[in-house]
Amino acid sequence: MTPREGIYGLLAEFNTPAELVRATEKAHQAGFRRMECYTPYPVEEAAVALRFHKTSVPLVCLLGGIMGMLTAFLMETWITVWSYPMNIAGRPLFSWPAFIIPAYEWTILFAGLSAAFGMLALNGLPQLYHPLFNAPNFRDGASTDKFFLCLEATDPRFSILDTRAFLEQFAPVSVVEVEL
Amino acid sequence: MSFAHEQHGEHGTHADHGPRALPPSLAAPVVLLAWRRRALLVAVVFALLTLFFAFTGEGRDHILRAYLMGYMTCFNFAGGALVMLMLQYVTGGKWGLLLRRPLEAMTRTLPLVALMFVPILLFMKHLYQWALYPTEETTNNAYLHHLITHEQALTANFKRPMLNPHAMIVESCIIFAVLFLFMFLLNKWSLDRDADPLRGTQASYERWRTRFENLSGPGILIYVVALTAGAIVWIQSLDVTWYSSIWGLQFLVAQGYAVLALGILSLVLLSRYEPMKTLLRTTEQHDLGKFAFAFVMLNIYLCFAEFLIIWSGNLPDEIPWYLNRIHGGWWTICTLDFVCHWLIPFCLLLSRDLKRNKRKMIWITCFMIFARLVDMFWLIEPNFAGSAGNLHIGGGMLAYITVPIALLALWSAFYITQLMRRPLVSTNDPHLEELLEPEHAY
Repeated sequence: MTPREGIYGLLAEFNTPAELVRATEKAHQAGFRRMECYTPYPVEEAAVALRFHKTSVPLVCLLGGIMGMLTAFLMETWITVWSYPMNIAGRPLFSWPAFIIPAYEWTILFAGLSAAFGMLALNGLPQLYHPLFNAPNFRDGASTDKFFLCLEATDPRFSILDTRAFLEQFAPVSVVEVEL
Repeated sequence: MSFAHEQHGEHGTHADHGPRALPPSLAAPVVLLAWRRRALLVAVVFALLTLFFAFTGEGRDHILRAYLMGYMTCFNFAGGALVMLMLQYVTGGKWGLLLRRPLEAMTRTLPLVALMFVPILLFMKHLYQWALYPTEETTNNAYLHHLITHEQALTANFKRPMLNPHAMIVESCIIFAVLFLFMFLLNKWSLDRDADPLRGTQASYERWRTRFENLSGPGILIYVVALTAGAIVWIQSLDVTWYSSIWGLQFLVAQGYAVLALGILSLVLLSRYEPMKTLLRTTEQHDLGKFAFAFVMLNIYLCFAEFLIIWSGNLPDEIPWYLNRIHGGWWTICTLDFVCHWLIPFCLLLSRDLKRNKRKMIWITCFMIFARLVDMFWLIEPNFAGSAGNLHIGGGMLAYITVPIALLALWSAFYITQLMRRPLVSTNDPHLEELLEPEHAY
């Protein structure tokens, strides 16, 4: 395993959500993309400033739903037409109205499961280690009364000096380097 | 990306400010007068177009059937608004406050709808077989002369207590009387509520909330019974042999579908002008869109459940109703109904962006109202001997376009008149304050 070098990012601490949202918005305008907000409670404006709503979870959910529908419908077709054909009340073997309900149920099941697991896969949970906990002020404040913006070092625009100066203009309580 | 900027704009304008001010005037915008003029113009033009069909016997028959379809569509708006109004009183919520005045205006069209019903009473012989042969003697005679089938004669005699001209008049009067009572109370109390000397206090909120809840709870139950009776006598009995126990509920859900579509359409169109411009936030539009989506789903659920049960049973006294609506070219209308009524609204309303977009919601709600008309056509026309299992687009069939449009346009003009009568939002309601708060662009 190669030793990890450098830092995870720069963490700015704010006292109010409004300051956090403003800084996040400006960071987005300045071209930063690899960044994250950490707040003690959900701040919807922060999610908007991060453009968080455009995730792939709805797509995963839709594909899962379509997959579930096709699976159930084709499975029923295969069973009743080829695998175990049976004359039920003289109806055609391919009596599709009867397949709709299982197909509908499987659509919901697959869509629900793919939304849940897709969300976990895309957000990287479960995660046993996160570098942010190396910052003492984050450990103390993130779940009580502080609002944090972290600009991550993997962002192409990140430079340790300029980014620090960029964050300082928003008058944060502190800007600290987060160790990896 | 452009969307993100739009969304940001929304958020940027409100986020840092406090609550917005209530517009000085809550009256409906003057532009409604122009809309009403346009609606009346459409009504006149389509009524004149209808005259072309009145020259042939077949054309006159179709005008009458199309008239029934137009009447039922208008009734669905007025009655559906009544039940939706009661529903929003028992559930509460900001969405209800915004829809309240448009829904009240829709319920106040009930006198017009009752008036529209008179021609159906006058010409019922031409629509309903049981009205043409109103007694056991005439029915048996008609059977002996092979004018009706044995099945039809037997069921008509069996259902005689409910399905005869006198009973229909009495039933319709009772239905309208019940609806008028609730319309009157809900509309009167709504004004009294705003004029309450204690308005704006917790005591006043609580008092009116309880009062409306106590009226609306039983009201919904009574309405469902009245609607079921109406739907059976006016529409289902066109085919005297057939019955379905889910029929009333199916109409109830279809009313919710249509009323929500029209309610959203009204709010979005009104939001081009004050006061709705300030009051209709994207959040509430989104919520209403989600609600409409639920009705789209519930509607197909009931319709398909009804079909699946009858298809599974495959009984000779039930399945012909569907066969008449599938065979002989009706398959195209049946498919069109499914695609317009469910597939397209469902797929479109899945999208979050679309539900939050004003312009697109105008299109989708208009389309949903159009889909209701397709559905009514599919329910009504195949009941008649020449059309059962035999779709022919003859001259008279076009009356199904002109007559319902004329009636709907006339109804819309009256709805707009009613909408102008009151301020567009009820002020003595704690939710009003929330509507003025900056919205979370979640």
